[in-house]
Amino acid sequence: MAFQTKRKYCFFKENNITEIDYKDVKLLKRFINDNGKIMPRRVTGTSAKMHRKVVSAIKRARTIGLMPFIDNGSE
Amino acid sequence: MRYYEILYIVNPNFEKKKLDETMKEIDNRLTKTKSKIINHIIWGKKRLAYPIQGHKYGTYILVHYKGGDKDKLDEFDSWLKLGDLVIRHMIVRIDKEPDVLEKVDNESPKEKELDPKSDKDKISKEKNDEETVGVE
Repeated sequence: MAFQTKRKYCFFKENNITEIDYKDVKLLKRFINDNGKIMPRRVTGTSAKMHRKVVSAIKRARTIGLMPFIDNGSE
Repeated sequence: MRYYEILYIVNPNFEKKKLDETMKEIDNRLTKTKSKIINHIIWGKKRLAYPIQGHKYGTYILVHYKGGDKDKLDEFDSWLKLGDLVIRHMIVRIDKEPDVLEKVDNESPKEKELDPKSDKDKISKEKNDEETVGVE
């Protein structure tokens, strides 16, 4: 009996998004985990092309203080 | 000619008058580099993801411009970095010509940001979003 795994789809392909803005924190938050780390492509199911754009957008957002480098819950 | 975008953070405690002065100063410096300013708007007061220079909050201001003299623009970049006018700034090149944004009243977005109820709503919505993504 093989495990039935749920098929993952690229979020951007489903929603017809081609460009990612680093200021769109709400969207980028989908691609980081609780610690603020960028989640791997095998987890999110994003296409390689869009994953590269997500990564650079998150890194830009981090630089300007919109997203955390690390989020360990302490304020 | 290339189009650029600057997002910079200023002290959240600046009054409206001081804020206008800061924006004017940056306007003047940018026009000296023969750049053409397309947008210069206040994006709003936001909580920083991590403290920068001891600040927990910051007022974000967005500038779109058409690049002018490159050497002078480099000078402008280092001027922003060395002076204590802004807490942090970032210049990014954009591929397409930016749309002209309407100038929103400075007061209304700030109040919305500071309203604790709306923040809570946002957080709960975001949480719901995360749940729907469902990482196995």
